[in-house]
Amino acid sequence: MSDARFDTTVTTTCGYCGVGCRLEAHARGGKIAAISPALDGPANLGHTCVKGRFAHQFTRSRERLTAPLIKENGEFRVATWEEAIDRVASELLRIKGQHGPDAIAGLASSRATNEDCFVMSRLMRAAIGTNNLDNCSRVCHSPTSYALRKSFGLSGATGSFADIDRADAAIIIGANPTAAHPVAGARIKQAALRGMKLVTIDPRRIELAEYGVLHLAPRPGTNAAVMLGLAHVVQRDGLIDRAFIESRTEGFEAASALMEDYTPADVERISGVPAADIERAAHIYAEAGEACLIWGLGVTEHKYGSEVVQLICNLALMTGKVGRPGSALLPLRGQNNVQGSSDMGALPDTYSDYRPVSDEATARAFEERWGVPLSREKGYTIPQMFDAAVAGDLKAMYIFGEDPAQTDPNTSHVIEALESLEFLVCQDIFETETTKYADVILPAAAFLEKQGTFTNAERRVQLVMPAIDPPGGAKTDFEILTTVSKALGHDMGYSDPEDVLAEIAALTPSFAGITYERLGRTGLQWPVAADGTDSPILYRERFELPGGKGRFATLPYRPPGSEATEEFPLILVTGRRLEHYNAGTMTRRTANIELLPNEVLEIHPDDAARLWISDGDLVSVRSPYGRIEVEARVTDRIEPGNVFTAFHFPEVRTNLLIGPSADVNTSCPEYKVMAVDVRPVSEEPARTPALAAGD
Amino acid sequence: MTSLTINGTPIDVAPGTTILDAARALGETIPTLCFDERQDPFGACRVCMVGVEGAPGPLPACTTQVREGMVVDTRDPTARRVADAVVELVLSELPEPPASHTELAAVARQLDVTDTRWPGRVHERDHDERHPYLALRHELCISCGRCVRACDEVQGTFALTATGRGFDANIAAGMDQGFQASACVSCGACADTCPTGAITEMSLLDLAPEPLHEVTT
Repeated sequence: MSDARFDTTVTTTCGYCGVGCRLEAHARGGKIAAISPALDGPANLGHTCVKGRFAHQFTRSRERLTAPLIKENGEFRVATWEEAIDRVASELLRIKGQHGPDAIAGLASSRATNEDCFVMSRLMRAAIGTNNLDNCSRVCHSPTSYALRKSFGLSGATGSFADIDRADAAIIIGANPTAAHPVAGARIKQAALRGMKLVTIDPRRIELAEYGVLHLAPRPGTNAAVMLGLAHVVQRDGLIDRAFIESRTEGFEAASALMEDYTPADVERISGVPAADIERAAHIYAEAGEACLIWGLGVTEHKYGSEVVQLICNLALMTGKVGRPGSALLPLRGQNNVQGSSDMGALPDTYSDYRPVSDEATARAFEERWGVPLSREKGYTIPQMFDAAVAGDLKAMYIFGEDPAQTDPNTSHVIEALESLEFLVCQDIFETETTKYADVILPAAAFLEKQGTFTNAERRVQLVMPAIDPPGGAKTDFEILTTVSKALGHDMGYSDPEDVLAEIAALTPSFAGITYERLGRTGLQWPVAADGTDSPILYRERFELPGGKGRFATLPYRPPGSEATEEFPLILVTGRRLEHYNAGTMTRRTANIELLPNEVLEIHPDDAARLWISDGDLVSVRSPYGRIEVEARVTDRIEPGNVFTAFHFPEVRTNLLIGPSADVNTSCPEYKVMAVDVRPVSEEPARTPALAAGD
Repeated sequence: MTSLTINGTPIDVAPGTTILDAARALGETIPTLCFDERQDPFGACRVCMVGVEGAPGPLPACTTQVREGMVVDTRDPTARRVADAVVELVLSELPEPPASHTELAAVARQLDVTDTRWPGRVHERDHDERHPYLALRHELCISCGRCVRACDEVQGTFALTATGRGFDANIAAGMDQGFQASACVSCGACADTCPTGAITEMSLLDLAPEPLHEVTT
């Protein structure tokens, strides 16, 4: 339908979260005039949210980077593209020559396309010659990826959002979908309103709790105990699917013996969740004909986050609720392409499809295609990069579409690392906290300005098409990365992102049948066979593990890395707000800032009263790693003993408070549990001298 | 499958299909005002009326399920007269013709309704532009209920309410305190479904839509 108000309308995929809404982007006079939801988008079904629909003004912000910047004598000056590319190439070649390729590391962006991430991996692996490459799934869902591969075989949701519509029950653990994944949240709400029994598990009483039949509020860091308690009840009350366990799984005996130990009473002692609620939740899940398990960063961003995901998988395996319509395990992936950036191999240890860099056959296939020898050694993860930079082993970084100085934990350490580098190149659409430390800043394109594919939380690869041009001299990530590669002496030879997708398909079995034409308006869910058949539901007949069997994990509850003490008596949990997205670089430059102008610290009325804090007071929040100031919001949505805030605002450097504790298997930071001290700001000066006097 | 005939063409559809869906599957256009495929059929506006052989009068296509052997005529003169009259009455309350991009304007064009036989009181201008993205122009509200149902059935937030009766029927965000102070989560589903522009995006207000009467074809 043509609309005289607009010059052009392009169907594309939203760049805001892992739901993957299909959008109609309407442009007029070279600017986005409006965005409406595509009626045939499989994930959004004609709906979208305050971010996807409205938060597009950032594309025309005056603060957009429109020309390359080079730092000279501590100040940035505008440079030509030739100068900037030459500087990047000569510095990277100099450092590679002096210190070897492993003195250089790159960060790919989970907001960029699959093609951009693949090109970035080729830039690091082939043009520079190192596996020092990572992306921000390291700090969000790497535990999910790890655990799903351990338990089931593949690193992705087992089903689709459509399974929510068919489920009789669902448990949501450590996710707040109505804020962080609003369209999935709305879909869950509708399912609950139609009668799906919804159980929410979160230290905060999230909005969806009001639509559910039961809410459990475990102490932060005790998810494992809750999962083991649910498994205990399912087993004790004979709700297991014996036939499924016998024919399709292995390792049940050991896991079963361990579950015995986690009686509801024990779990209540550990987690604070009433034993009766554990029993009820277990029955709701196990007795439902079909049930989904949905989780977010409240599960993963813990010291044992990856183990909790494995325990979630246990629940599905023991009840046989996986691999069929209505029974899906759905990790809500954070950023728009956090699934895809990892699928593409923008990781230190894997090529696309999660094939190890040490795998000879895979490495050979890439070497043949790219025409250069490739390293078989694992590279640095993000935290290891910063450690290596501080230690002096890492000399240069290429950071594209990521702002670790605001989003990564232990901010002071990150900044020390960035300052230690000899050379830092940032490729972004705005100046950020991170670009302050850059030597060269390359101006890039936003999702509405480029072409490629994103992969959403249900493994759906969808087309991204430009609705407008990048502003001024900004260029697409594809153009920048291929130009830099050429300057480094490695000509990738692609003419456009579609060429890159063809190479991905040729080198990646689960992308074998993907072409633009087949993706069409509704995308395809990987693995996609060579004939174009896709996979809305995984593991219908077998798991993708040796022998085809799902694996039970025998893992006990272990306490979190941070616990309340006398000095730091409250537990800080961090998360997201509806109106803003991640570091806020985009949403803070839209009228969403009028809807939510500043950050607050949520605190329970009992704690607030004890600490003489009133709603709206400025409070100081201190952890062993740092201190911030933020406005207090007194609310009983949060349990006593816990406080909550987000990290969307650079004015509130929330991640200054977070320490180095991280998931034991994937080094995903423990953003969700940090012992802090909270007090009104006016008290702080009086306290400081008291400390000096030997308090 | 259920077999029926629409405008003389036979078609087999799944039991429970509505006449509207069956007709659309055949490529027949039936104008609608209160219908949105994202919502349950509502049957309020009476614009989608069709003739059904043996029925005492025209039936709404959006809520009537097909029956075996049904004979449907989407061009039935009585049904058309009802639909025309409904659209004329709707237009008669508006202070200005609907903008050409709106669904109401499209339906009026489709039914060839350009003027109303019943001029009378029209709604007075009443704009609420307190929200950064969503504008309410109450005088354009035709009480089709689509925004309220989008908020309930698509988003699940229940921020919008139908208010008033008869000529004064309208919609309100929350207790009429505006979108931002209500439970509204600014998803925009209401603006997306509104067939008249009574709820629209602030940024689109500047794009100066031409009114219906200026359209020449």
